[in-house]
Amino acid sequence: MRAGKNESDQELRARLEKLQAELGSKEEERRAEIGGGLPVGGSFGKALSAGFTVLSEFVAAILVGALIGWQADGWFGTKPWLLVLFLGLGVAAGFYNVFRFAAPKDARGGG
Amino acid sequence: MNPIEQFELQRIGAPYFINGVDVSFTNSALYMLLAAFAAIVLTIGATSRRALVPGRGQALAEVLYEFVANTVRSTAGKEGMRFFPFVFTLFTFILMSNLIGLVPYTFSLSSQIVVTFAFAAFVITLVILYGLYRHGFGFLKLFVPHGVPAPVLVVLIPIEIISFLSRPVSLSVRLFANILAGHITLAVFGGFVVMLLGAGAWAALSPIPILAVVAMYALELLVNCLQAFVFAVLTCVYLNDAIHPGH
Repeated sequence: MRAGKNESDQELRARLEKLQAELGSKEEERRAEIGGGLPVGGSFGKALSAGFTVLSEFVAAILVGALIGWQADGWFGTKPWLLVLFLGLGVAAGFYNVFRFAAPKDARGGG
Repeated sequence: MNPIEQFELQRIGAPYFINGVDVSFTNSALYMLLAAFAAIVLTIGATSRRALVPGRGQALAEVLYEFVANTVRSTAGKEGMRFFPFVFTLFTFILMSNLIGLVPYTFSLSSQIVVTFAFAAFVITLVILYGLYRHGFGFLKLFVPHGVPAPVLVVLIPIEIISFLSRPVSLSVRLFANILAGHITLAVFGGFVVMLLGAGAWAALSPIPILAVVAMYALELLVNCLQAFVFAVLTCVYLNDAIHPGH
């Protein structure tokens, strides 16, 4: 009974490892097929480019949000409110950009 | 010693107007031609002998080709390779204009936001048109992240749209701001040297800003190449969205 349980445990582990390896290779195939986004991490140059990218994406989203809100206010005559709303959405979009840049792009990560 | 004098547009030859729009040949146009010419010399001139054992020029062109091809393949996938000629052209042109701009007394093309925004607008237009051509209205799935409950979508879709609209802005401003700031810093530190030399005994301190200029010049070389690379990579990332929306 005891030995049997151990054996099934080992079998289970072996199967798990096999599945893990298969999943890994599938993931690599998928990555080669559709591309994996920006190469993050690594040398000084890569770190520098990642920094520039994150900064500008964050700032640009806020600017674009503010611009949309300001313009929409001018069209609809709702002076500060749409600017406030779209500025908030712009900040959210900025954080979303940064999150999307930093989050791992695998099948289980969503997004 | 005005640090922003170097970005001034100057007419070369006679002023020329079409419908009141100034289309004279400027130093900016001249440097565009120079950058294109440099890219052509590097890629066509250096590889014309097609030696099996490449010479220096051919080796450089081959390294450039391999580098961009690997970048496109790893960021936009196999299908992205149909955009390889476009990305390669963009990358070499920006790289050449940046490198030419680093030579003293030259004009740096990417320091004009009009130029970088024209590139970015072209890229985004291409992404939208290709996405619509490839997927029809399915391209709009790009704005709807899958696996998200409906109430969250009400907030998330405007965020996605703003995030998409911010792309050409961030793409153009990043290139423009880095090149502009770099060249201004170099000019300002160069100005320090002149000022110290003209200030009597303080001239003894003048080697310090010279050392700073040398160090920053190395950094600028890195930044200039890097910005061309980042522009190309992000173009690939956005094209990847057009090829595979909803991922």
